[in-house]
Amino acid sequence: MLKILLKKQLTEIFRGFFFDQKKRKARSKEATIALLIGYMVLMLGMMGGMFTMMSLSICEPLVAMQMDWLYFTIAGTIALVLGVFGSVFNTYAGLYLGKDNDLLLSMPIPVRYILAARLLGVYLMGLLFSAVVMIPAGIVYMVTAPLSFGTVYGPILLLLLISLLVLVLSCVLGWGVARVSIKLKNKSYITVITALVFIALYYVVYFNAIKLIENLIANAQAIGGSIQAYAYPLYFLARTGTGEWLPALVSTAVVCLLGALTYLLLSRSFFKIAAMAGVVSKIKYKEKAAHIRTQATALLCREFKRFTSSPNYMLNCGLGVLMLPILAVVLLINGGTLVQALDNTFGGVPSATITAVCCAGICMAVATVDTAAPSVSLEGKHIWIVQSMPIEPWLVLRAKLLVQILLTAPMALFVSVCAAAVFRPALPELILLLLLPQICAGTLGLFDLFIGLRRANLNWTNELYPIKQSFGVFMALFGGWGYAALLGGGAVLLAAYIPPLLYMILFAAVSLLLDLLMIRWLRTRGCTAFAAL
Amino acid sequence: MLDISHLTKTYGDKKAVDDLSLHIAPGEIYGFIGHNGAGKTTTLRAVAGILAFDQGEITVGGVSVKQDPIACKRQIAYIPDNPDLYEYMTGQKYLYFVADVFGVGMQERQQRIQKYAQLLGLENDLSQPIATYSHGMKQKLAVISAWLHKPRLILMDEPFVGLDPKASHLLKEMMHEACEQGCAIFFSTHVLEVAEKLCDKVAIIKEGRLIRSGTMEQVRGDDSLEEVFLELEDATC
Repeated sequence: MLKILLKKQLTEIFRGFFFDQKKRKARSKEATIALLIGYMVLMLGMMGGMFTMMSLSICEPLVAMQMDWLYFTIAGTIALVLGVFGSVFNTYAGLYLGKDNDLLLSMPIPVRYILAARLLGVYLMGLLFSAVVMIPAGIVYMVTAPLSFGTVYGPILLLLLISLLVLVLSCVLGWGVARVSIKLKNKSYITVITALVFIALYYVVYFNAIKLIENLIANAQAIGGSIQAYAYPLYFLARTGTGEWLPALVSTAVVCLLGALTYLLLSRSFFKIAAMAGVVSKIKYKEKAAHIRTQATALLCREFKRFTSSPNYMLNCGLGVLMLPILAVVLLINGGTLVQALDNTFGGVPSATITAVCCAGICMAVATVDTAAPSVSLEGKHIWIVQSMPIEPWLVLRAKLLVQILLTAPMALFVSVCAAAVFRPALPELILLLLLPQICAGTLGLFDLFIGLRRANLNWTNELYPIKQSFGVFMALFGGWGYAALLGGGAVLLAAYIPPLLYMILFAAVSLLLDLLMIRWLRTRGCTAFAAL
Repeated sequence: MLDISHLTKTYGDKKAVDDLSLHIAPGEIYGFIGHNGAGKTTTLRAVAGILAFDQGEITVGGVSVKQDPIACKRQIAYIPDNPDLYEYMTGQKYLYFVADVFGVGMQERQQRIQKYAQLLGLENDLSQPIATYSHGMKQKLAVISAWLHKPRLILMDEPFVGLDPKASHLLKEMMHEACEQGCAIFFSTHVLEVAEKLCDKVAIIKEGRLIRSGTMEQVRGDDSLEEVFLELEDATC
């Protein structure tokens, strides 16, 4: 019985590798292997590569100082934090919100088996994140430290213990997150803000990593002493990685005990929580004051509601809304340095080139907002509503376009004004600095909608497919960056043949022409295509 | 109110609806019955203007669905078999969205929402997100939204599925009341007893072709609708 459940769980987790959601058919063996290799390369190559570099820079000095355990304390802590952060937000849903809850609970299956299968999913998620840190750390250690049985089994055992600890912490914290989120209002915004805080923290650590590592190595003895004094369990656990048998034995016993205790506690409450999952406290109905809206406004509000109700949508397609004002503030604070740097780079080059590069930078940030690209696909199963109503398809499409333009154009204008304050361009360049990013916001909005409509896919089961994994979104993002690169790169590279000012004017004219063509297509064939979806 | 003339719709090689003609007058409740895959949903979706068809003509109140779909849709309300509504909205927001699209005045919409929500027992759930609704609650919300703009033609695909007995009974009363005010109702169902008691006219469709239609008396004669339906199913096999 347990074997069947575990097999089902594994199939669910790795379904994406074997089944093409869009085409709704099984992938070929070749496609599955290619996907698996691609995924491994991405995880181990990109993320693992980053941690390999980190391990290489700290392992040798710490081993030389005979502070191997500090090396594993650092690697283990990062693995633990990454593992918990990577899985804690999905733990509650993974454990208790399975779509097959009713089916499994109605069958003669012991609850502890269902829980064990669900825990496997959470465990694998944590293991994946921990392994990205611990595998490079272990390999670097095996290569750096004198080879022995301990240096080989130590890191492997530590990885397994940390992944189990991640599971325990994810269950405890996941339960806490679920309890808090039930009582929260505006969950979407809070999720987005939390994610942004973590992203910001990540970048702060990432950009200061070298300084942090240098400090760590310079003060290794003092830091090591503090860890031994104030975080003894961490010190003891880390010694497992070095292959010491007593810490390995005790840590294994303690972590296994914690794991067993978690399993026991969860299995006692699983049925009650799973049966109650999805039950929400009732909001008392109150007649609210409302205004009559026109069709266009009602559709626009609907699009904004769709956008703000989904943290996934906001984070993946609207991050640029935050990047644009950040860019403006950076320009205002570091404007002088930037002017100097640009002057050094483009010394002797007309200032119009700098304006073009500046416009390209704004366009690049504007391109990170691509709400229109997945918006058609996101209609999904609900598309019958707008299709059966007396609404011109163009009104629906226009609302999708307007959301993106309203999110980008005012912010782009703000950045342009800040850039103008810093660079103080001449009047013709000032006009272009203010105008070009606005044209860019319109062109990219139209392009994203065009791509979204051409690549519309209403048959998705998880909104992440159209938002994150669709070809349309990929095209929208990289197409937008290509467009921005064409503006900046063209102005710089063709400066000898076309004056940058003229190049920008031509670029604006071509963009406007493209806008007209895309509007024409959207209003005619686009509307027909939307009505026929 | 509704004229379907020689409607034909094909999916690849398969004719989902084959030369189907029907006429529904104002104030009539017209039942549409047939086995799974007979072409009922295809017909209803074509009438609702959300499915293009290959041949034939559909007019609502004399207006062609092909020529002027927007004018047709202003007169129509459509409820699909599985009402997937915007889960990110609350019930009230959804109803206001529908009212805005159909241009229903503030006072009228508030009165109608209150009346029908109270009638169907959904009044206290309107502030909840639709994501938390059960199938039956979504069906009730879809019914309220359909009645919100006083349509002249209501199209419903299996409207009683998921409704509790009380709500089913109330929906039938709402259907009668709408018809008394001149509205026409065209709905599909598998529950032949419901069709028998509720409908003025009935059409039986099989493999896309209309095999019998007319008043209830004309279709069933002295037998029950179930007997006639099964007989026709066997006879055309």
